[in-house]
Amino acid sequence: MSLQGAAYKTQAAGGRIVFGVGARVRRKEDDRLLRGRGRFVADIALVGMRELAFVRSPVAHARILSFDIPEQVRGQVFTWQDLEQAGVRPIRAASGLPGFKVSEQPPLAADKVRFVGEPIAVTVADTRAEAEDLASQVVAEFDELPPNVDMLAAAAPGAPRVHEHWSDNIFLETRVGQSFEKDVAAAPVTVSRSIRTQRQCIVPLEGKGLVAHWDRQAEQLVLYTATQMPHIVRSGLSECLGLPLEAIRVIAPDVGGGFGWKGLLQPEEVIAAWLCVHLDCPLRWMEDRREHLVAAANAREHHYEITAYADADGRLLGIDADAWVDAGAYSIYPFSACLEAAQVGSILPGPYDFPHYRCRTFSVCTNKPPIVPFRGVARANVCFAMEQIIDAIARAVGREAWEVRLLNLVPPEKMPFDNITGKHFDSGDYPESLRRAVAGIDLASVRRRQLQGEPDGRLVGVGFATYCEQGAHGTAVYHGWGIPMVPGYEQVQARITADGGLELRAGIQSHGQGMETSFAQVAHEVLGIPLERIRLVHGDTGLTPYSTGTWGSRSMVMTGGAVATACRRLADRLRRIAAHLLQARLDDVTLSGGKLRSGQADITIAEIARTWYLAPQLLPADVDPGGLEVTAGYKPKSDHGTFSYATHAAVVAVDAEVGLVEILDYLVVEDAGTMVNPAIVEGQIFGGVAQGIGTALYECSPYDDAGQPLASTLMDYLLPGFTEVPAIRIEHMETPSPYTEFGVKGLGEGGVIAPSAVLCNAINDALKARGAIVTDQPITPARILAALHNAGAEPPP
Amino acid sequence: MSTASPNARLVSLTVNGRPVARLAAPRTHLADFLREGELLTGAHLGCEQGVCGACTLLLDGEPVRGCLAYAVACEGRAVTTIEGLDQDEIAARLREAFTAEHALQCGFCTPGMLISARDVVERLPDADDARVRVEMSGNLCRCTGYVGIVKAIRRVLEDRKAR
Ligand code: FES
Ligand code: FES
Repeated sequence: MSLQGAAYKTQAAGGRIVFGVGARVRRKEDDRLLRGRGRFVADIALVGMRELAFVRSPVAHARILSFDIPEQVRGQVFTWQDLEQAGVRPIRAASGLPGFKVSEQPPLAADKVRFVGEPIAVTVADTRAEAEDLASQVVAEFDELPPNVDMLAAAAPGAPRVHEHWSDNIFLETRVGQSFEKDVAAAPVTVSRSIRTQRQCIVPLEGKGLVAHWDRQAEQLVLYTATQMPHIVRSGLSECLGLPLEAIRVIAPDVGGGFGWKGLLQPEEVIAAWLCVHLDCPLRWMEDRREHLVAAANAREHHYEITAYADADGRLLGIDADAWVDAGAYSIYPFSACLEAAQVGSILPGPYDFPHYRCRTFSVCTNKPPIVPFRGVARANVCFAMEQIIDAIARAVGREAWEVRLLNLVPPEKMPFDNITGKHFDSGDYPESLRRAVAGIDLASVRRRQLQGEPDGRLVGVGFATYCEQGAHGTAVYHGWGIPMVPGYEQVQARITADGGLELRAGIQSHGQGMETSFAQVAHEVLGIPLERIRLVHGDTGLTPYSTGTWGSRSMVMTGGAVATACRRLADRLRRIAAHLLQARLDDVTLSGGKLRSGQADITIAEIARTWYLAPQLLPADVDPGGLEVTAGYKPKSDHGTFSYATHAAVVAVDAEVGLVEILDYLVVEDAGTMVNPAIVEGQIFGGVAQGIGTALYECSPYDDAGQPLASTLMDYLLPGFTEVPAIRIEHMETPSPYTEFGVKGLGEGGVIAPSAVLCNAINDALKARGAIVTDQPITPARILAALHNAGAEPPP
Repeated sequence: MSTASPNARLVSLTVNGRPVARLAAPRTHLADFLREGELLTGAHLGCEQGVCGACTLLLDGEPVRGCLAYAVACEGRAVTTIEGLDQDEIAARLREAFTAEHALQCGFCTPGMLISARDVVERLPDADDARVRVEMSGNLCRCTGYVGIVKAIRRVLEDRKAR
């Protein structure tokens, strides 16, 4: 499908048409997706392909006594015994942090099941329906054990152990900071909160899915899989299957959203990869929605006990916190079971400057699916907790919450700033984002409205939250974790083709972020090649340099930086050839608009490319034999990565009769440094805020006492829809990072961090008149009514 | 690929204006029938629980959930998928508006969104933002936060009014 250059046009301030960094260009990937002609993994059909279905554990914690598999289907059913005999190894994601307890996850449960939905057998048939028919005929006999459902109970001494050879159910305990009671004992203000956040499923609209086959000619296992990190999946497969890396190719086709759920090695991937070789036929598995909601890795279930100390103005003196994260039954590859909890310890201080801090965290092993870092990872929870604390201090000192925030935010004159946990904030004006949010949400008019009261009797409230978001984490940050994945230099291959086009090859994977467009903009900025002649190849280990993949708000900073670096190197080589062809001095040759010029003479990139590939007799004798193809690696100047930040503000109306919340206004004032494509930046924020609204008000994956998941359809697991998400407003600030190409900062996760905090603070502002307060999420009508009931202001529901 | 089923029935219908006759098991839903049998993969399966709307198709011109309609129940009817709307005037305007307003990210919900949006544009020339949101509430998107989608649909409504 040919795309017209005009489709990308965008006006710069002076009326000039621009396409490079900063331009709001239309996305190159849209056309195929709008015509239903993308290629997602479920769209791939190979000759002779068969389908898989999984038999999954119906119980949360049990020993497997036996399998009863009807004789006539024995050849179509496989259990761990089959895999183990063939030498398949369990998934193992150890952290190097001292004290970490290692879990081994056999891709099909071995002797014990540890959560409902854990795969225990796999069936193969011509269609998925028939494979499911087979699965229903497989019966397993269990000896049930008491399940660990609540993380606090699971962490207590004497709890039944998920992994019996462990001494308790704690994957890892971490401690940050020192004892500081004597320093803050005299603090005039002390506030404490117990805060709980719910277990969530990530629910990209496309579930996981894969097609696996053995390529006889390449003598390679080829796995098409809906993943954010093809190179990491390849490494994990190599470990589990004992195949050398070059015998494995992992390809991510079009991927229907990830948000973290597609950032792990899945047991199903290991099983299908082994089985397609064993059976010598292509195999497909598509995660259905029930499998996703029941059996997929989950996220975000935390418990906090926090005490904050402040002076009489509300200036923070110290934070003392204990945090528990329900990490589920196994440590996932590559991020491990402890990333989330340990992250809590390092980021709880948020964007604030205060002198005393102590935090203990516990990654608790329970009989639930493992956890995977969901967009924002622990930040959404940490922000929910910390921003409630700020509001609590404001109440204690009798000030507007935004004033207390302002008092404690790191001021711009301290930038760059090393915070209490050693995070190096790169740049920005955090207080300004807050001031703009206060003005933009029109706080004064909300306060007037509250005094007047609503005609319909609803309670109106306003809330704020400020956060900063580390993106593009560097080598040292991840090395400290000791997990099987440490990001280093991010590489890009750039190749000018003989007709003057540009191919970029990158090991990240774009699944909605529009990188086919934004990286083309970066390359265009450097080389001037038109966007329609720039093509990004991504998501394929056979075609791209190694990369840890798309996660942690890193791709624009890391891969974008590598694109710019590679293109600059190409520009240099082009200039050298141009100098020879134009008979000019190298220093006089400039590149702009896709042409190399010296004085009045010029030559196009396409003409130079033709010369390199097709008329090499015209090249200078000392031409770089590397030609018009380079691989460049990139790291930002600071290993801490980038810190984007924002203040979110919301106005809500709470119906105290039924507990319903309506969002009347939602404003984001954000700064992600230089924006490569403002439309894409805004899209990331809109989408993140929508997910954050889900976290705040709707989404929850509850379990009963037996460890049975209670939300197994999208009727039970509520995603925010058109009528739940308001017309979000965005105001941009643009403070470049001093450490990155063009000053860009990572922001993909940002939008999701603040909404639950903002909405909680706004709801509590609304409920304040009735003396009620909510501290846990999701903030459902039942929770609001319970809070009102406990405040004695309402009859029981 | 449900042809192996012993109780498969021959289903004859029209797909994007073309007659199609193919065996289908009674339990095969319309989206699978089209995706697996006709290789029309534009209708996506986001839940197969009737909630997400990614599978939305036109059946005799009306939007339906492809995951809730059985193929055998569509005997003699006319199905239009996203692939059949290449030349459709409203769909073309919507595609233009969706890309201009950045109304898609991963694009997985997009075919279903376009089919529902086309129906809204056809039926409700005067719809405002609130009405568009209510009418579109049977389609879920996990990426965009809906802001661009609402703007795109309103843009098409306004353009058509202006003509
Ligand atoms: S797949 Fe049909 S509604 Fe979700
Ligand atoms: S664009 Fe990804 S689900 Fe809508």
